[in-house]
Amino acid sequence: MKDTRTSATEETTTDNKTTGALTDATGTPQVEKSNPKPNALGRAWQFLKTAWGEHSYIFVFLVVLAVYAFTITYNGKSFSAGHISAILSSQNTVVVGTMAIGMALVIITGQIDLSIGSSMVLCTGVTVVVFNVTNSIILTVLAALGSGLVCGAVNGLLAAYVKIPPFIVTLGTMLIYRSLTLWAVRATPREITGSGSSQFSLKSDNSAYQALRMNFGTSSLKLGGFSIPYVSMLFLACLILFVFIATSTKYGKAVYAVGSNEKAARLSGINVQWIKASVFMVTGLLVGVASIIQASKVGNITPASSGRSYEMYAIAAVVLGGIAMSGGRGNILGVLFGALSYAAIDFIIVSIPALSADIQDTFQGLVLILVIMVQTAGPVLRERFRRGPKAVAATV
Amino acid sequence: MNILEMKDISKSFDANRVLHNVDFSVAVGEIHALLGENGAGKSTLLNILAGVYPRDTGTIVFDGMTYPHPTISQMEKVGVAFVHQELNVVNDLTVSENLFFNRELTRPFGILRAAEMITQTHELFESLGVKLDPNRKVGELKTSEKQLLEICRALHTDAKLLILDEPTTALGNDEIAHLFAILRRLRAAGRSFIFVSHKMPEVFEIADTYTVLRNGELISRGTINEAVPIQIIKDMVGEHYADKDVYLPRELGDVVLELRQFTGAGFRDVELQVRRGEVIGFTGLAGSGASEVMQAMFGAVPYSAGEILINGHKVHGEIPSFMRSQVGMLPTNRKENSVIPDFSVLDNVVSAQHALSGRQQVIRRVKELVRYEALKKRLNIRSQSPYDSIASLSGGNQQKVFLARWLNTDAKVLLLDNPTQGVDVGAKGEIYSQILDLASAGTTILINTLEIPEIMKVSDRCVVFYAGAVAAVLDHDQINEHDVMAYSTNALDSADEE
Repeated sequence: MKDTRTSATEETTTDNKTTGALTDATGTPQVEKSNPKPNALGRAWQFLKTAWGEHSYIFVFLVVLAVYAFTITYNGKSFSAGHISAILSSQNTVVVGTMAIGMALVIITGQIDLSIGSSMVLCTGVTVVVFNVTNSIILTVLAALGSGLVCGAVNGLLAAYVKIPPFIVTLGTMLIYRSLTLWAVRATPREITGSGSSQFSLKSDNSAYQALRMNFGTSSLKLGGFSIPYVSMLFLACLILFVFIATSTKYGKAVYAVGSNEKAARLSGINVQWIKASVFMVTGLLVGVASIIQASKVGNITPASSGRSYEMYAIAAVVLGGIAMSGGRGNILGVLFGALSYAAIDFIIVSIPALSADIQDTFQGLVLILVIMVQTAGPVLRERFRRGPKAVAATV
Repeated sequence: MNILEMKDISKSFDANRVLHNVDFSVAVGEIHALLGENGAGKSTLLNILAGVYPRDTGTIVFDGMTYPHPTISQMEKVGVAFVHQELNVVNDLTVSENLFFNRELTRPFGILRAAEMITQTHELFESLGVKLDPNRKVGELKTSEKQLLEICRALHTDAKLLILDEPTTALGNDEIAHLFAILRRLRAAGRSFIFVSHKMPEVFEIADTYTVLRNGELISRGTINEAVPIQIIKDMVGEHYADKDVYLPRELGDVVLELRQFTGAGFRDVELQVRRGEVIGFTGLAGSGASEVMQAMFGAVPYSAGEILINGHKVHGEIPSFMRSQVGMLPTNRKENSVIPDFSVLDNVVSAQHALSGRQQVIRRVKELVRYEALKKRLNIRSQSPYDSIASLSGGNQQKVFLARWLNTDAKVLLLDNPTQGVDVGAKGEIYSQILDLASAGTTILINTLEIPEIMKVSDRCVVFYAGAVAAVLDHDQINEHDVMAYSTNALDSADEE
């Protein structure tokens, strides 16, 4: 495999080696061009190297999972499919993970969205109220998606067209969305909030309650011994959809192009402002989906405390998923493993009795820093090893 | 006496041998041109000299001292200054702050002696004949002024040997003349220079001696007085290059592009009619408006008055509306405006076509690969796999990729802004013969370049800009360096009129 950075600085010519298309039908690049006949071991090593380079998030997840399995057995229980299914259905996977898909797109364009925790609270509030008032699942879903879209559109228009830095825009809307919801929950009568003056709660005497919460939100599809909650399947469906969009549509390519070189993207005819605004709207829609999950899975939302720091958890999932914070690079599939890793770390800490819940964020923070250190320091160290210390300083 | 002696320098990256037993020496007080195509090993050789890469074999003697393990800071200290092609100035600081960057004059506790630094800046500029305000923000300077600032910074460290890596690519002809005047004065004062350039006329104007590298080997060296340009070019590119005259007169079609009182920031009242299959050269000094007109013709910058008609239809708005009228633009400054660095070669080629065909959202890879292979063959793009990183290609090959980007959109009008910038001689020739092929096939092409010989080679007509307006439109037979220079400096108004 050829290191692009090395070859760029060396200006190595590729003359005389033009052997035509070195691709197979599925369009995967062949990496073993330097050694024409690698043995099985060499081939496996090449494969691992490529896999590590492009899909390191899978290894991260496997390591975290192994640690989790170890702590479970250490506590005298046996690690089972149920544990995996618990990770798959945890709040950090389904709610944060769904929003993290949008966050990933925003980050790939080189922007950031700090408002998703607050807009999830706002949208869930809207979702619950619409459900309580209309008793219609269709209207509830539309309300969730619509309110999410509006939240995202506000961010997108201000960031892309008014050109306020996204960090500032979404910092502002983060405060606004939550405070609006707090105000609304106190100002709304009990029969509409479905609960007291501090919470929006699905009304269990609505006839559709059974379908939304019992049949969908809290049940699972049983496959032999393994059960997959429907909300997890919704998350996975969103993920598959966006993996497809990112890799196989022109819109997806444009998102990457904008993050990689905005000027070149514009001069290629890409409507940069629209792409930048649209990723916020897509994030809004996904926040809407997350709100449906929150409402049907948990059944309520507390504006003062729910969804706190979810934007940070989502960023963590994106980063653990190997997506570059500088934009232009990363794989949406990484979000799945990033979110799962993050959820699993949660479970590990909970499963160690000596650790209190207060110390949880410390560990999550440490793991986050550690993983990123390994990911970024790895290539740098390898270069240093190969070329000696001075070369590294000069090529960075 | 030689200030620099490099002997038997070899260097490999992994299995890739980039330098093989190269000897290179520079005498005191000479300007030594280091020549070669992209990928010949020039950069590696210079990086070894500057302490960036360690060498595998060979010796380096600089100013009488041998350096077995040179480091960047060591070589800087003993007087080797590297002025890179990419500008390394800090835009948010002033000229004098940049000049003293990292070696500020200070009082105790790191308090700056600002007034003194400004005075010293003044003195340095005066001695060099540079007209720059030490207090200006570097961000406000023109590219050429930044380039001068970089060179001043190198001189300010009392460097004995300055490495100038393509210092003239961003400069207009008058600025180049100014730079050369400074170089001559410094040469007379005993400073030595390594001058890397792809422009033969410049080399013959300024350099005393030359060294040609090809594929990591020393091919020839000697003094410029005894050298023949054609021979040097042959040395650079090997046997395959022939300096044939590629221009052929062609039948032109109807008018496809028309500018009427076309006015915008930096240009005004431009009138022009271009026919199908015509090749038009734009030229003019930096700031003459030639590049701005071209950008406005693609919607990259807005025009404020007048109109542009393509196939008889007025075109307004942003880039996409011009693209729908089958206009494509290869912008100047490839790295900044064309390269999508995280994309493969293939994705770089198809990006414009994607933007143009947004209704069909799902990408059809197989179809794209077929088109890519055809373009690759047609433009002779040297890449191994379509999935290689764009950064793995040399400058000339990258430029062909971006030409392919527009051919892939079936653009009928191509605007090429400085298309041979940072492109080696071999690829330059290929790009120009490609331009003529396209024109014969009915594509209309406008080229903006400062290199008049290139315009002479391919253009049917040449539009010379001066101070934002068209100074002259010359037919192919009328194009010569003297007249173009005269029009672009507005020297004709007073003199040649009879």
